[in-house]
Amino acid sequence: MDLPQINQFLVKEINVGIIVIDAEAKVKFINQFVLSNTDLATDYQEQSLFNLFPELPEKWLKRKIESVFTLNTPAFTSWEQREYLFKMRHTRPITTENDYMAQNCTLLPMSNNADNQPELLGFIIEDATDVCFYQKQLSQTVEKLEISNRTDSLTKVANRRYWEERLAIEFERAKRHNQPLSLIMFDLDKFKNINDTFGHVAGDTVLIEVAQNVAQNLRQSDLLGRYGGEEFAIILPETDAEGALVLAERIRLGLAMHQIKVDEGTVIATLSLGVICICDDYSQYEEMITRADMALYQSKRDGRNRTTLYQA
Amino acid sequence: MIDIALTEEQRDCLQELINVAMGQASDKLARFLNTFVHLNVPNIELVNFDSLPADFTENYAQQNLSVVSQGFYGNEGIRGESLLIYKVNTLDDVAKILGYEPGEISDNEQLTDISSILTTTFLNGLAELIENQLSYSAPRVVSSATSSLDDHLKQLSFDWDLALKVDISYMVTDYSFDCDMVLLIPGEAVKNIQLVLERILKEY
Repeated sequence: MDLPQINQFLVKEINVGIIVIDAEAKVKFINQFVLSNTDLATDYQEQSLFNLFPELPEKWLKRKIESVFTLNTPAFTSWEQREYLFKMRHTRPITTENDYMAQNCTLLPMSNNADNQPELLGFIIEDATDVCFYQKQLSQTVEKLEISNRTDSLTKVANRRYWEERLAIEFERAKRHNQPLSLIMFDLDKFKNINDTFGHVAGDTVLIEVAQNVAQNLRQSDLLGRYGGEEFAIILPETDAEGALVLAERIRLGLAMHQIKVDEGTVIATLSLGVICICDDYSQYEEMITRADMALYQSKRDGRNRTTLYQA
Repeated sequence: MIDIALTEEQRDCLQELINVAMGQASDKLARFLNTFVHLNVPNIELVNFDSLPADFTENYAQQNLSVVSQGFYGNEGIRGESLLIYKVNTLDDVAKILGYEPGEISDNEQLTDISSILTTTFLNGLAELIENQLSYSAPRVVSSATSSLDDHLKQLSFDWDLALKVDISYMVTDYSFDCDMVLLIPGEAVKNIQLVLERILKEY
């Protein structure tokens, strides 16, 4: 084989699409890879690219083709911004969800001499279906991981780390926009007794049901988190002390009416709650946590199953 | 690390080449964009690996950035990566500058389109001046409001020792638009560029 034969052979056999057009977008050449993966007839020569591929975004692509001829530089399209340019079949119809071959395309200026104005333009079309598919899977996995990374594995509410991150953000926001922000912290009363009487599995069931029951009372923007053991905490953006206190009482009364069924019988769980609203004196969100905790322990000292609003 | 200091002569030579390439690029761009393009004489600066992230952090503190990266490679072992850095709030006019309809294509694609045009037009001109020919990888958005430039610099596919920082300011009639272009070049390739500069200096 001589060199032109080798070139011709490779252009025919390579798993990369090649389409060559002139400055008027008349098609000069299409290689076997493109023909095999489309339903084009072989008499494509001298036809307009936009007639052969009606799916092409004509106005934008014409501008792009113009840039290649005017500037004598290559142009590109990537599946990440535009999944495909040409509607072509791909070789993974079973294992991927893509309807058409995902593509990275290069629009290459072609001339005999690099210094000359280009005579022709070559589309080099690479199959990126696999990359596209794996990237989508990766994104979905990362998303799942992100959710699990901020979720308490038992109760499915926010874990402490994520809850504190969000409190830090809400605290800054409330300060900046001069808006109210409240916290409720609460603890299950005599949780140790539940564990001792009904066992740890029942204890876990109680924690899960308490979280679910409390969550029913919250708005989309509120955030319930498990602060540790049997202690939970709620961030209430744009909520003043009065609103937080009303909500805390609703939560407390709602749970006290709720029977939690465990293997050995029925548990009624009660809560001691502490409520605090942001005030100008606090410079760090931790100050709110400490004071909500103090209010919570006041509720415990006063006999449990009650709510205390922190007052300076 | 390779010693990457350019001599004063080499530096002047490179500055001159970049000036000429910029001039040619602005000429071509004006023709394509069909409007007058004014280009400031670019500032070039050689920066080593350690100081670059700090430079950027200072320059772009508190700004939402978009960064587009494009690899390039040519003969004589010249290769590197070009970064175009945009402040997000200056990007409103990009579609108009490119002659696209509003909403015709996504913001990211506008960004990769304009970046590729700026990078390849300038680098092709520069390559021609040093009798080289460059090929390019596709442009990629590597950093947007959600990810940081620092992270990208740390994750570059090759270790670069020297960055050739070229600050360009493109002014297009009726629109204001500017960006910084940074060429990151690995140490081996810098040596090759030095050889080319020496050859050119000998010829004149």
